[in-house]
Amino acid sequence: MSEKKPMANGSSNGDETQTIDIHEEDGFRYHRGSALSIFSSDRTEDFMALVLALLIALGVYLFVD
Amino acid sequence: MVYTHKHPALLIMGGIFLLIGILVGTGALDGLIAYLHAGKYKGEMIWLGYILGVIGIVFGAWHLWGRHEEGDLDYYGSTVAGAIFIMLVAMIIRWFVAPYVAVLSKALGPVMGAKYLHQVLGLNYVVLGILAGIIITNTIGVPMWARNGVRLSRLGLKTGVILLGTLYSLAELQQLGKLSVVLIGFFVLGSVGLVLLLGRLRGLPNSMTGVLSAGMGVCGVSATVAASPVVKAKPVEIAYTIGTILLWGVGCMFLFPIIGNMLDMGYVQFGAWAGTGILNSAQVAGAALAYQPDGIETLKVAEIFNITRVLFLPIIVLWLALWFVKREEGNERVNVFQVIFQKFPIFVLGFILMFALSSTGIFAPPQHYKGKYFDNNIPESKLLKPEEVAVLKAEFDKVKQAKPEYAPALQRLIENRKIMSREDDALIRGLNNAKIMSKKANKLLKKAHKAVRHTAKKIKKFRQWITLLFAFGLTGLGMQITMAAIRQAGGQPLVVGGIVGTVKAVLSLIVILLFVHETI
Repeated sequence: MSEKKPMANGSSNGDETQTIDIHEEDGFRYHRGSALSIFSSDRTEDFMALVLALLIALGVYLFVD
Repeated sequence: MVYTHKHPALLIMGGIFLLIGILVGTGALDGLIAYLHAGKYKGEMIWLGYILGVIGIVFGAWHLWGRHEEGDLDYYGSTVAGAIFIMLVAMIIRWFVAPYVAVLSKALGPVMGAKYLHQVLGLNYVVLGILAGIIITNTIGVPMWARNGVRLSRLGLKTGVILLGTLYSLAELQQLGKLSVVLIGFFVLGSVGLVLLLGRLRGLPNSMTGVLSAGMGVCGVSATVAASPVVKAKPVEIAYTIGTILLWGVGCMFLFPIIGNMLDMGYVQFGAWAGTGILNSAQVAGAALAYQPDGIETLKVAEIFNITRVLFLPIIVLWLALWFVKREEGNERVNVFQVIFQKFPIFVLGFILMFALSSTGIFAPPQHYKGKYFDNNIPESKLLKPEEVAVLKAEFDKVKQAKPEYAPALQRLIENRKIMSREDDALIRGLNNAKIMSKKANKLLKKAHKAVRHTAKKIKKFRQWITLLFAFGLTGLGMQITMAAIRQAGGQPLVVGGIVGTVKAVLSLIVILLFVHETI
């Protein structure tokens, strides 16, 4: 997992608070608004969600009567 | 680039969680908990306080005093701070703020029938958590040390959706699945078609219309991002679409529960409406939990609709790809299978896998209904009282005439004061749904059904995990919604999006009120 999504840095219109969802494409910066992810693709995120869910399910199965 | 910030915040947050766990565990906060009527969260405050406290302190010490070099460990390790930040905001709201809002609201007295102001406005921990996230990001801003972790929110939501698969029975999935395919099929295809038509009438570029139709028709921002390459959407067009979707999605997330409460909608009706009418997947979950914060029946219905919508995504992307190629000269042919393969949402397979595992009976006795299994070895206190039996006896002849197939099960219930078998339980549920007995009698049928249905401990634990994952995901979602993103909406895309969004919300409400009933 060496591909990374860069964190939002710098400011848009001089307002640091509004930079968490900045996305740059073809030199144009816009706000993603949601659907942010630490993974490089939706596929990777889906697999990680599946792994996490299976781990939780295993834990519940083993440790809950 | 090094992502981990040398900042004491995580250490401090860990200390706060640990302090909460200790204070609650020793009874020091009993007075406050009693005043807030938050006793049901006491267990959670203790175990979550200790676990998140230890994680926060250990990782906080590492963040502050450890050596950090560029790499995977640094990148993924840096997310702990943001994750704990989200949990702190979400849990303080769940354990203290939301209960306090309820106390204040109840002091004002009922405002609509028997409902209090906070119930009508849906001011529960879900809505307040999302609001808190939005306020934080648009005032002081999410701190830099937390930003990477805030991006974990969607992972939390997806994990929660996958785990939801453990709670459905085959009967529920079949009935909800059939309903959702019909409703979603109509409204998704209809919305996409309407945007394409309006876009053409208003002279929007094909790329703008294409990406807007995916966002408005399917599942919001994710669909926008998925469809943008096939319609060659420009970044400014994606920005317009995201702005429009967020404006409507966030607005609907707060408005739908208020309308649902005013219309006294049932869980199935509201879940179906939220799943059909709200644009963005995450906002669907937010609205469902806002409507029923202390249970997940509404969320279960809404998520089936959400999943059905997401399953339509490859079909819509394919449609748009073919539509775009037809309209724009000089574009390459579309590889149908490649599009479907690339766009198919894998996490839905995870949901199906969890459902399949649950159906084998490893988490609860098989043949459960809504996560509850049948067991009629119940104490005397759970049996129907003699006066309650008399009510059912008085209406027995009515049932025998109108619905003779239910009479034997009702007879056995009257004789034994409890439901005698799983088959009888299904018949009693059917009799209740048929609504041929009086309201009082139907309440007794429901009481008899509840007495013999028990939630397996494992299923209870899954419900708890799902609730916490969604609380985490939705509060984090709020922190991603910037006013700057919403202000991107404007011009013709906003007009087209507004028309389609309104038509979808209103029409789906009418259809659901007319044709969807609480019999699933």
